[in-house]
Amino acid sequence: MPILQRKQRVSDDIPTASMADIAFLLLVFFLTTTVFNEEKGLPIVLPEEKEEQEVSPKNILFLIVRADGSVVVRRGESEQEQIVAYRQVEGILRQELAANENLIAAIKTEPSAAYRHMINVLDEVKKAGAERISLQMVGE
Amino acid sequence: MAVRSGGFKRRSGTSSDIPSSSMADIAFLLLIFFMVTTVFRREKKRDIDWVNAEATKKIDEKRKNILHLWLDPAGQVWINDQSVADDDIAQVVRPIYADNRELVIAVRGDRDVPYSKINTITKQLQAAGAVRVTFATRLEQRVTRPRR
Repeated sequence: MPILQRKQRVSDDIPTASMADIAFLLLVFFLTTTVFNEEKGLPIVLPEEKEEQEVSPKNILFLIVRADGSVVVRRGESEQEQIVAYRQVEGILRQELAANENLIAAIKTEPSAAYRHMINVLDEVKKAGAERISLQMVGE
Repeated sequence: MAVRSGGFKRRSGTSSDIPSSSMADIAFLLLIFFMVTTVFRREKKRDIDWVNAEATKKIDEKRKNILHLWLDPAGQVWINDQSVADDDIAQVVRPIYADNRELVIAVRGDRDVPYSKINTITKQLQAAGAVRVTFATRLEQRVTRPRR
């Protein structure tokens, strides 16, 4: 072994040139893996308590959601009832709204009807572009 | 312009490199900034079957203004991981609404619960004064849309 110490070639610095790359890599990794859970739904504004208004019957279209998911359509003033599938509600409501733009779509649901039936009808009402919606329960 | 230094170009003393030694600091600073500003909502997910709707809209509201109200398949109401009796919903929501007048209640109900539960909830929310409600739904895509 030679007596003279060999000069060390390895640098004792921490390599800082790649540090930025590592940091940006982490940054990009976390940016891409972050999932924002979006809030989605059907917005509706409930009437203030004790501010329920009386409306003339001719401006109301009752959509009665029955327990089996079928819908009974009743124009406010007439006793005439029409049983339809919920998919037809949008078309009916569009016609009615064209005739009377002050129309209120009153969704009246039976207490035992599943939530999804009521949402199906509310969905149709929203699609028809109705602004004035009322939620009620049968027997109240 | 008069030529100075005898017409020889003076050697520029400034380096033409972008200083990269501080780049790491900048990147870490950004990283830490985003880590600190991220707010996690610690709320347990309830196991519910979502309702689908084609008219589903994105709720454009700040996260802190949204209160989730879960209604599980058994008909139990949950607010902030606490089970709430049907008649106490108004009591629970009222102080939250008093703190934040822009509160939106997102009702996350199971698709098969009877409507009477939803009716109770809306009545209670009305009593609490929180009238802005959304029925949380999943976007439904129908392959064929019947045209009339």
